[in-house]
Amino acid sequence: MHRRTFLKTLASTGSLAALGSFPAPAISQGAAAKALRFVPQANLANFDPIWGTQYVVRNASALVWDTLYGVDDKLQPQRQMVEGEEVSSDGLTWTFKLRPGLKFHDGEPVLAKDVVASLTRWCARDSMGLMIKALQKELTAADDRTVKWVLSAPFPKMLFALGKNNTPMAFIMPERIAKTDPFQQITDYVGSGPMKFARSEWVPGAKAVFEKFGDYVPRNEPHSWLAGGKKMNLDRIEWVIMPDPATASAALQNGEIDWWETPIPDLVPVLKKNKNVQVDIADPLGNIGSFRLNHMHPPFNNVKVRRAVQMALSQEDYMRAVVGSDESLWKVIPGFFTPGTPLYTEEGGEPLKGKRDIEGAKKLLAEAGYSGQPVTCLVAQDQPPLKAMGEVTADLLKKIGMTVDFVATDWGTVGQRRASKNLPGQGGWGMFHTWHAGADCATPASYVAVRGTGEKAWFGWPESAPVEKEVAAWFGAKDLAEEKTIIGRLNKAAMEDVIYIPTGFYYGYQAWRSNVSGVVKGPLPFFWGVTKA
Amino acid sequence: MPDVLPPVKVRRGLVGFMYRYPTIAFGGALLLAMLLIAVLAPYLGTVDPTALAPAKRTRSPSAEYWFGTDMFGRDIYSRVLYGTRISLMVGLSVAVLASMAGLIVGLVSGFVRWADGIIMRIMDGMMSIPPILLAITLMALTRASVSNVITAITIAEFPRVARLVRSVVLSLREQPYVDAAVAAGTRTPMIIMRHILPNTLAPMTVQATYICASAIIVEAILSFIGAGTPPTNPSWGNIMADGRALWQVKPFIVFFPALFLSLTVLAVNLLGDGLRDMLDPRMAKRL
Amino acid sequence: MVATIPVMAIVALFVFSLLYIAPGDPAAVIAGEQASPEDVEKIRRNLGLDRPFVTRFGEWSWQILHGDLGTSMFTGLPVTTLIAQRLEPTLSLMMVTLILSVTIAVPMGVIAAWKAGTWIDRGLMAFAVFGFSVPVFVVGYVLAYIFALELDWLPVQGYTPLARGFGPWIENLILPSVALGCVYIALIARITRASMLEVLQQDYIRTARSKGMGQRGILFVHALKNAAVPIVTVIGIGIALLIGGAVVTESVFAIPGLGRLTVDAILRRDYPVIQGVVLLFSFVYVLVNLAVDLLYTVLDPRIRY
Repeated sequence: MHRRTFLKTLASTGSLAALGSFPAPAISQGAAAKALRFVPQANLANFDPIWGTQYVVRNASALVWDTLYGVDDKLQPQRQMVEGEEVSSDGLTWTFKLRPGLKFHDGEPVLAKDVVASLTRWCARDSMGLMIKALQKELTAADDRTVKWVLSAPFPKMLFALGKNNTPMAFIMPERIAKTDPFQQITDYVGSGPMKFARSEWVPGAKAVFEKFGDYVPRNEPHSWLAGGKKMNLDRIEWVIMPDPATASAALQNGEIDWWETPIPDLVPVLKKNKNVQVDIADPLGNIGSFRLNHMHPPFNNVKVRRAVQMALSQEDYMRAVVGSDESLWKVIPGFFTPGTPLYTEEGGEPLKGKRDIEGAKKLLAEAGYSGQPVTCLVAQDQPPLKAMGEVTADLLKKIGMTVDFVATDWGTVGQRRASKNLPGQGGWGMFHTWHAGADCATPASYVAVRGTGEKAWFGWPESAPVEKEVAAWFGAKDLAEEKTIIGRLNKAAMEDVIYIPTGFYYGYQAWRSNVSGVVKGPLPFFWGVTKA
Repeated sequence: MPDVLPPVKVRRGLVGFMYRYPTIAFGGALLLAMLLIAVLAPYLGTVDPTALAPAKRTRSPSAEYWFGTDMFGRDIYSRVLYGTRISLMVGLSVAVLASMAGLIVGLVSGFVRWADGIIMRIMDGMMSIPPILLAITLMALTRASVSNVITAITIAEFPRVARLVRSVVLSLREQPYVDAAVAAGTRTPMIIMRHILPNTLAPMTVQATYICASAIIVEAILSFIGAGTPPTNPSWGNIMADGRALWQVKPFIVFFPALFLSLTVLAVNLLGDGLRDMLDPRMAKRL
Repeated sequence: MVATIPVMAIVALFVFSLLYIAPGDPAAVIAGEQASPEDVEKIRRNLGLDRPFVTRFGEWSWQILHGDLGTSMFTGLPVTTLIAQRLEPTLSLMMVTLILSVTIAVPMGVIAAWKAGTWIDRGLMAFAVFGFSVPVFVVGYVLAYIFALELDWLPVQGYTPLARGFGPWIENLILPSVALGCVYIALIARITRASMLEVLQQDYIRTARSKGMGQRGILFVHALKNAAVPIVTVIGIGIALLIGGAVVTESVFAIPGLGRLTVDAILRRDYPVIQGVVLLFSFVYVLVNLAVDLLYTVLDPRIRY
């Protein structure tokens, strides 16, 4: 009986093999040599950039799908798939015209109806998209290459919304795929971008392969982040998932891989010493670490308790634990916005500056009536920065006299549990750690984490009318000077209400072999313009 | 072969015992040393093993930090010594609990005929899932904590003991003196106490030492994968898991707990071997 | 042999129940972070999570028997596809480890038994106990450091399919097999020695010796064949250790095999994959032990079923 079922299983997998599910073994040596082997920051488990908002999914999707606009290295949206656009004088009607000759990977031309379907799906999941959808009167394909979007009120940041690099990006997919419910994963990966996804070679958790799409029509301008001509010099890119950083480091030194997205800082000195390896900062916009509190339940529903943690928290401890001893890699930030960007401000940031006040924190806790309720900390062990921050937090909370319920788990479970609005003792949570890419924290436009809309806000559900007032004001601001004033007030309000506590600003490295050139700094790894000797 | 054999000197007492059973002596001494370390950890020049000092991270071993510091600036010497407590506690608890559980199940299976078939099928089923997979799966269902780790590994290991006890019971049940006892009207609990238990004691003890060694290693592997004891409590497994990414540049973070782990497991294994040789050399074929 | 069916049934029941024992709501996991309660309900009905246990177990078992192991919750791919993709690396690793270990361990045990009581014996057995005591990943890291990084004789990680040539394939498998095999070698060597020792004391060995048979002849022709039963038993039981150790070895050496698939699935609570893989491993283990039982009848005609 069992032999038969076993053979049946083999037979059914055999038929799957016929459909191309087995990894293709026959790669000539030449092709393998021209392949760029890249180790991404995390596993590529599912591959729907609208459904799943992980950074790694977005990074892979940027290869497979194209967008109407793309931001350049100054975060200004530039035309990408669009040849030209028109805005009516009242700001209510947007007309976009597609470039000629754009094709999908299956040979079909990119038509306006594909754009309409893709944008509809994107709007359902993106914060700026939802704002546009709320104003939408119609979104139609005027002809095969023209898209018309009519709103009930002006939305000046339209181009930025369509070209931003924050997830989810407004990728353009074929209409039939874009019609998939936004809360379900797509299963077809036919794209509009410069690389095709080699589905038959995908081993989730181990390997993902991208191959050059010969019919992609790049723009003529030089490339700059997501803008300009995405000319691919590589025929084949292999993403090799390596969960063990020691193995990835050794593989890079040995030449078994070519580019590592996230080398851990402690291994960088060894990599720097190797003549065949180059190391540099990955993203000039850096990252902001986050101590995310649950405003909905005790103990953090009391603002005094939140402030107590805030005054005792040492960003230096966190940063050293996450990034190491090299101080050029991190900064203390008394604010919520990205250092080095126009809207950076330290207004109201006194609680995070200067000497930490443990005694003051203990007093404030007593004042707040804290009586030993445990803080349920969700700490992902499989992400090194989060694991490190979790340890520092456990120590911090104990120092100020709070009870810690340390839940060591994985990022997937954190992702699931943080959505729970239950009490901490019944499957809910008190705090968790995450980080935000600097690009996401440059303006309030896509900065969901700083919003105070209560039940509708990001996990933690902070409620802050002063913050929301400033956000609304910012969207209507006329110039940069006005924006800066508003942001200053926003920062102060967010600090006072302790929306979340930034644990510091830090840079990450990337490392690549010396025979690979064209690697640039950016908010995601850009493969166009990269060559391998 | 000469007709007359030269007289053999038989040394008596403890020294004689150690001479005849060097594995028990060596293994036992090493294990005793580890137990003492576990108990006396606070007095052996250690500091708070959970005290973070990120400014002093990853320092190499020196006069101030005998085993160096880890990525959070914690003293590795203290963590390893305190880790002895957790690792030994896991090992010993699993050994004891698995033995007790296995004893009960094995006795029931051996004596209650109608239950035997079902119980043994269940035990076989559990044993056909590789123990580490079973332990990881069980840990995935619950939170990381020392007690959950102990429970998970116990569940994975006790079927072996059950099998062993059952086979002893079955073989003894046929013995004439047991038959006689039954015929004389001795109640089952007495039979168990007077005839069965003494015969299971020897193989169970040996089995228990191997289970202890296995549990210590399984705990290390669970922590390595990320499904073991929570990182706030230092155990050798999670000290190594913490330091695994840095082993090429700061090997001392993994080296010292690995050394202590290997020595302890070695000690327990040697002890098991020695006990087996002393109690019944024929067990060597089975265990 | 008929007993394997109820055993597999028990395993299947346990594996299926995992989804029920587990904390958290699988439908919420699939729905994702920004889903509304209605979406979660929709998904719950899609997965059939609202139907009674017995019905679902029946359906699931029926599916399994037809070779359908369900669909992964995270990737949306069929579990059989995921397993098929990862089968070759793990099978290769196990096979090479098995051959390597038996080839090293059996002679080790035989020699130790032959020279029982001497330093050779003590040395070999000390080596074996050591193999038991050092965790697999430590051995792996040390080997990788010495042979791959420092000496550069072998690659640090990865897996090359057999189709690309025997040389590259075996190159990638040497270090992982040695690391994984340490425990296995220790186990087999010890049992070989113990079993051989017992056999060597038997009368028929003395008879063979007095008849003038050479040492090697005795050892391999008579003794080993009779000592084989426990050795083969332990090789069979040890497969469980290999499967467990493969999980760690694949992680250290970045081998895209079933072990890593299992660990990833378990940490992500991807229950269909967990169920499929645990079922598969148990099935293989049961098969192996069945093969061992059959081998007994060849090795020792006294054993018959």
